[in-house]
Amino acid sequence: MLIVIVGGGKVGFFLAKRLLKDKHTVSLVEKDKNTCETIAKQLDILIIHGDGCNVENLEQAGIKKADVLAAVTGDDEDNLVICQLAKDKFGVGRTVGRVNDPVNTHSFSELGVDVPIDSTSIIAKIVEEEVSFSDFVNLMSFKRGKLAIVRVDLPEDSPVINKRLQDIALPPSSVLVSIIRGEGVIVPRGDTVLLASDDIIALTLVENEQQLLSSLIGKI
Amino acid sequence: MYIIIVGCGRVGGELAKLLSSEGHNVVIIDKNPHAFNRLGAGFNGITLVGNGFDPELLKSAGIEKTDAFCAVTNGDNTNIMSSQVAKKMFNVPKVVARVYDPMRAEIYKTLGLDVISGTILFASMLRDKIIESRFSSYLIETGELGVIEIDINDKFKGRPVEDINMPGEFIITAVINKKKQTIIPESRTVLEKGDKIMAVVKTASLQKVRKIFEL
Repeated sequence: MLIVIVGGGKVGFFLAKRLLKDKHTVSLVEKDKNTCETIAKQLDILIIHGDGCNVENLEQAGIKKADVLAAVTGDDEDNLVICQLAKDKFGVGRTVGRVNDPVNTHSFSELGVDVPIDSTSIIAKIVEEEVSFSDFVNLMSFKRGKLAIVRVDLPEDSPVINKRLQDIALPPSSVLVSIIRGEGVIVPRGDTVLLASDDIIALTLVENEQQLLSSLIGKI
Repeated sequence: MYIIIVGCGRVGGELAKLLSSEGHNVVIIDKNPHAFNRLGAGFNGITLVGNGFDPELLKSAGIEKTDAFCAVTNGDNTNIMSSQVAKKMFNVPKVVARVYDPMRAEIYKTLGLDVISGTILFASMLRDKIIESRFSSYLIETGELGVIEIDINDKFKGRPVEDINMPGEFIITAVINKKKQTIIPESRTVLEKGDKIMAVVKTASLQKVRKIFEL
């Protein structure tokens, strides 16, 4: 695949490096000349020194043949415009836009960015998970926030402890994906018995999240 | 009218003062609180500090009831994003954005955004100041149309306007006579020596017109 990346900061650079490793063709557009030179020394990719909001620079980067465009600059308005130019002017099939300020995530979806990635929220969530002493953490959201992967730590007084999964009433559209017990990971089956301090990873519709929580923890 | 302006620079500030003095309800937004200093003490609209595409800020600015929205910050992409949020997410009836980059302006025009670039117009005005004394090419942004000013000499005196007009290329729209009166001519209006005419001309026909009038 040909992937055009706009923005050669930390995100853009590591993205380019990883995609290159996966044998994709990558080109990168970056405003800052020194950054361009630094990247050029490390990666064997086409680097355009220029503004990704400028049609000519996108063309030089091969946007007309690109399968995916990723706009990962530090400015949300730039990322939005770059994605829109790629999609509406050049017909790129898939546009990925980095959202720096979480308030803009909804706008990105509404204004046609295929995949808005709210990097700030993602990092905040991971940090929250690491520092959190609560029983429940939302790990990730999909489908514009309709679907979520959550982690639930079963407390001592959970009503589902020592019960088999098939005997537990889960809300509709919720699935237990895995159970982390000590160092091991168990793929749950109907006859799996839950124990105290199991970490449960579950996939659920966000609207059923509270129900899932109350059935696993017993309280909210 | 209720009007929200994003960007309190020279243009945004002037626009806010103008609309406010005409009695409109104006809300002006800028990231920098010091920007509002240029509004002066007489401004009686509302100022809000923040980002012009933040939906929550826009709600508090009254975007759900506003009649018009105008984005004139010095960032093209900020203006593009703000105006799209206003138009597509809040369905504001009248949305205008300034986009300096002519290329992006053209693209977003075709995508249905009401965009004023000004860059080409301004460059044309400067060009005309430097190069031309009679011709103004800044009537419309594409530069296809201009206004030319011509003094009527012996060759054209006594002839009616319809005789000189070239349909599709050159149309006389005003005559300034020797008494400095400006007349919008009819087709039979007869030109006299010493009259000055103002005519709309297609830029493509400019050379032809110059030859005919020996300019």
